[in-house]
Amino acid sequence: MNKIFFNRFRAALVACIIAVAATAAAATEELHLYIWSEYIDPQILKNFEAKYHCKVISDLYESNEEMIGKLQAGGISQYDIVIPSDFVVPSMIKLGLLKPLDHGAIPNLKNLKPEYTKSAYDYGNKYTIPYQWGTVGLMYNKKLTPDFIPSWSVIFKHTDKHRPYVLIDSEREMIGTALKYLGKSMNTKDKTDLKAAADLLIAAKKDKNFLGFEGGVGGKAKVAGGSAAYALVYNGDAYRAMAEDKNLGFVNPKEGSVRWIDNMAVPAKAPNAALAYKFISYILDAQVGARLSNFNHFATPNAASMKFIDKSDLNNPAVYPTAATMKTLETVLDLGKDNRLYSELWKIIKTR
Amino acid sequence: MTENEIVYHGELVKPRALYRRGLVFILPGLLWIAFFLALPCLSLGIVSFAQRNDYGGIDWTFTFDNMKRLVGFDLFGWSADNLVILGRSVMVAAISTFLCIVLSYPLAFFLASRPVRNKGMWMALLLVPFWTNLVIRTYAWLIVLAPQFPPARFAAYFEMVDPGTALYPSMIAVYIGMMASFLPFVALPLYTAVEKLDWSLVEASFDLRAGFWRTFRYAIWPQTKSAVALGITLTLVPAMGMFVVPDMLGGAKYMLIGNLIQEQFGTSRDWPFGASLSLALMVITLATLLFFNSKARANKERRS
Amino acid sequence: MKHTHPLINLTAVLLFMVLYIPLLCVVLFSFNASRLGMQWGGFTLHWYVDLFHDGMVLRAAMNTIILAVSSTLISTVVGTVLAVGLQTAPWGKKARRFFEPLINLPVVTPDIIFAVALVIAFGVIRSLTGLFELGMPTMIVGHVTFQIAFVTLAVRNRLEAIGNEYSEAAFDLYASFGYSFRTVILPLLLPGILAGAMLAFTLSLDDFIISFFTAGPKSMTLPIFIYASVHRGVTPEIHALSTLVMVFTILVVVLLRRSEKHNEQTEAKS
Repeated sequence: MNKIFFNRFRAALVACIIAVAATAAAATEELHLYIWSEYIDPQILKNFEAKYHCKVISDLYESNEEMIGKLQAGGISQYDIVIPSDFVVPSMIKLGLLKPLDHGAIPNLKNLKPEYTKSAYDYGNKYTIPYQWGTVGLMYNKKLTPDFIPSWSVIFKHTDKHRPYVLIDSEREMIGTALKYLGKSMNTKDKTDLKAAADLLIAAKKDKNFLGFEGGVGGKAKVAGGSAAYALVYNGDAYRAMAEDKNLGFVNPKEGSVRWIDNMAVPAKAPNAALAYKFISYILDAQVGARLSNFNHFATPNAASMKFIDKSDLNNPAVYPTAATMKTLETVLDLGKDNRLYSELWKIIKTR
Repeated sequence: MTENEIVYHGELVKPRALYRRGLVFILPGLLWIAFFLALPCLSLGIVSFAQRNDYGGIDWTFTFDNMKRLVGFDLFGWSADNLVILGRSVMVAAISTFLCIVLSYPLAFFLASRPVRNKGMWMALLLVPFWTNLVIRTYAWLIVLAPQFPPARFAAYFEMVDPGTALYPSMIAVYIGMMASFLPFVALPLYTAVEKLDWSLVEASFDLRAGFWRTFRYAIWPQTKSAVALGITLTLVPAMGMFVVPDMLGGAKYMLIGNLIQEQFGTSRDWPFGASLSLALMVITLATLLFFNSKARANKERRS
Repeated sequence: MKHTHPLINLTAVLLFMVLYIPLLCVVLFSFNASRLGMQWGGFTLHWYVDLFHDGMVLRAAMNTIILAVSSTLISTVVGTVLAVGLQTAPWGKKARRFFEPLINLPVVTPDIIFAVALVIAFGVIRSLTGLFELGMPTMIVGHVTFQIAFVTLAVRNRLEAIGNEYSEAAFDLYASFGYSFRTVILPLLLPGILAGAMLAFTLSLDDFIISFFTAGPKSMTLPIFIYASVHRGVTPEIHALSTLVMVFTILVVVLLRRSEKHNEQTEAKS
């Protein structure tokens, strides 16, 4: 019996070695994509693979902090593309995590709307190319919230009409939302303002209706599944869920929300930068860009794609906010040394 | 036999050669453990005195900041939260262990009383959840405790929770999850002890008209004490550092020290603080182990 | 022991139910046609089919197996050699007091402390030398470290059970240590080595915490994948994956018990 075991074991081992060798031998070019979950149409990746005779391997993350952590742990030499949000880009540049882009290898760069080439966080697109932009808003389950008002008070005000909610596990975006509710700027450095926001969030955490911190996708899943009445969710994710279920709703509350711009970037020691540039240029193609936005229902920074965008998205204030709403939106800024204030705050909020 | 040679297990050999050979054999293993476990644990202590730089890396300046933060001094003054979390972790671990012990006795007696041909099957039934991955076992409770199912409906009927809410995140869910995870760790050693139980003592105790509790305390407990001790070491220490169960079933509301540590290495990217938290946990672990070790030694001495 | 109080039997059966109901729910819902939420939408097998098309799942499964096999190989070799060295030389009390705690250290350290210590140590080494980037090698190192203790335990038990008579007989017949070891001890030791190897293999498959912390970007394993998916929102595809993992676990447990029984039978015969 032992001999049989040994032989079986050896056979299994040989099989494994052969399998590994086969995969290695059959290796074509690979693009390692590290991206937010549910952010790209799988068909786009398949089309890219077919066009450039390569294989795309995706890994997913739920928050910027998670992505930066993984890059610092060795990911800068293992991924070819990452998708950071605007407010973490300056830190990533300072940490040496990103590679300066070769604009010559990205012909479709000209498709970008002009305002996206002069951003405060990366003027001239030296390290990043805008991918999609959107907001962090309030998603709600209509069946559970007959008396809904489009305000953050449904989460922050503790009345007996209070219902279960999920907060978003993103440092700047969650604190920023709390600050907006209090009427302050998302980028304030005033300690009393920050303390007020922290107190608000800690009270929200201690409430019995608090269900936990999740990424945007996790919160959306809880609202769609019925275990939460409200969640902070990225507008596109919410809209996708709404397309499948009429009982769900989304709104950018009247006090204001975070407006973010996600970008494509190449890690400093990416294994296949050339293919990465091809990918960026591919996404910037007019048709592909439109396909992307029509899939994930976020807003596109691509001027050439605008004419291919679904009319329902263009007319949807949740996806392309009206001028009035735009005034209530604010972008999170990198505060250099003062980022530390927010990190400390977030840590306190998470532990109390 | 020349001078200096001995016979060891039948082999005629010089002691030096014997030890040299022995060293060659044990050195790889010992060096591996020393290098990849003992040294890293030491480095934990060192890093816990370093600082986090602005962007999440390690800044090698010596500071007591992390120790201060551990006892509660942060940006906004003092709060007991970290200590509360530490205390809560120990308490949850202790209560879970106690529950496991109490519940393992019926389980062990049941297993021991099965007919011999069925014993293997029941053992296998006990082992299968034991070997199933912890993540799967824990997230499975998310289904059972969902709002639409009997347990949550039952609780809502008795007004313990609002109707329509799930039984998680909550302390109850965490205890259920912990208990379900660690039950086999206590049940298996206890079963081995119960198998070898000397029933004559129990029968004698009943013959002398002792009640259930007296029988248990004087006839059963002394014979199963060491098995329970083993079960405690296998349960209490890992339970204190557990983070999967509180993460899935407790949410961010009922953080235990494991969650707090995991966060420092994930989203917060504050390795020095994480190291100081781990150091605190290590100290508590060592204290627990030493405590039980000394009790075990005292018992052995008393018996001999 | 023949009779147990019916209350004890009832409690035990209830406990078994408590252990199994969650797992059975997972299996049940893996056939659920509706994607989110707890409503039953009809019976379907398409989640299982989806699994085999999901590149990420397949890669995670491959990683899990590679990790388990490599770490088991290394730890079985190192652990066996360690156990043999411990038993075949007359170590004194002082030496034993030094070895025993070191060998038992991986067993008594809480997983999370071990994982954190490894990550920090690797991080420090990485900042100095650029080696030890998190990935499959670091995961293997982590797994081997805690597996060694268990393999050593299993092999030592077996060595003690064998006793010294065989090697003494071999030496009486003028065999050298190497010959005696190869032809006499090793074959007798094989059941113990295999038991240790299977134990190490199952421990590696089962492990989550150490893998979670030492995993690199491309070395995601199945437990890590399931954990991340739970946070994103559980779909029946995850239930299907978990069901398959459970079936695999059951197979391994059954195999283990069969081989144990077989060993007991062969020993009873000899």
